[in-house]
Amino acid sequence: MRTFYIGDDVQLEHMGPDVAILVVGGEVDFEVSPQLKARLMRAIKAGNRRLILDLTDVTFIDSTAIGVLAGTVEKLDELGGGSLSVVSNHEKVVQIFEITGLDNMVTIHASRDEALAAATVTR
Amino acid sequence: MRAFQDTATHAASELHVLARRSELGVARKYAEDVAAAFGLDSDGRYEFVYAVNEAVTNAIRHGASDEEDMIHMSIAADAERLTFCVRDRGTFVMPEVDADESSPGGRGLALMASLVDEVDLHIDPGGTTVRLTKLRAASPSVLETAQAQAG
Repeated sequence: MRTFYIGDDVQLEHMGPDVAILVVGGEVDFEVSPQLKARLMRAIKAGNRRLILDLTDVTFIDSTAIGVLAGTVEKLDELGGGSLSVVSNHEKVVQIFEITGLDNMVTIHASRDEALAAATVTR
Repeated sequence: MRAFQDTATHAASELHVLARRSELGVARKYAEDVAAAFGLDSDGRYEFVYAVNEAVTNAIRHGASDEEDMIHMSIAADAERLTFCVRDRGTFVMPEVDADESSPGGRGLALMASLVDEVDLHIDPGGTTVRLTKLRAASPSVLETAQAQAG
């Protein structure tokens, strides 16, 4: 079992003021999904509209956390638009995104560099 | 079907935990251990543990009046089937009508149903029991199949 953690928000000056990267690792379940939700909402409240959630070190993500990600996309839509991109190359995690249909709501990238490149293109 | 403890796997046949979010990791570890002892492969174990986590999460959210209530887990197995029971004192709530973290979409129940071979829901005046059964001779991994279809 890998311990859950959320890193500090990463702001990249050259990406513009509305891009934030949030790094999460470990197992994301009902115990910690409120923390994830709070951090994503905080990033939005700070003015970020292009969010990159780096889940490279996440090995497990449950339905409540999937719900948090879906709710984040809906919140961005309510505020006039934005994007949530997810970084993961964990086979099972990506499969869960596909089963739940989350892959229709967010863009999934295999690496953070790939996500950043996409954010630059869509800027 | 007999108690899992009798199958010489040395896995405990029951586990009781407080209805607290912090116990989810304990439940997953228990499910992982019994699935490994039963002989499920890595894909089967992941799916089994995932489904158990969803059932226990639902029990914590809806089957307990407070954090002092208990969630009861037990296992049974025969040569072909591994069954994990999660029992609480509440009334099962269909995830579709939830309005907080697991919504929208009722993903919890849908995931549970898709990741194991059988889901049995039994509601009585004393509580709700969810039984999740995984077959040893498994059909192709649910997750792999879903990914192939999506691709």
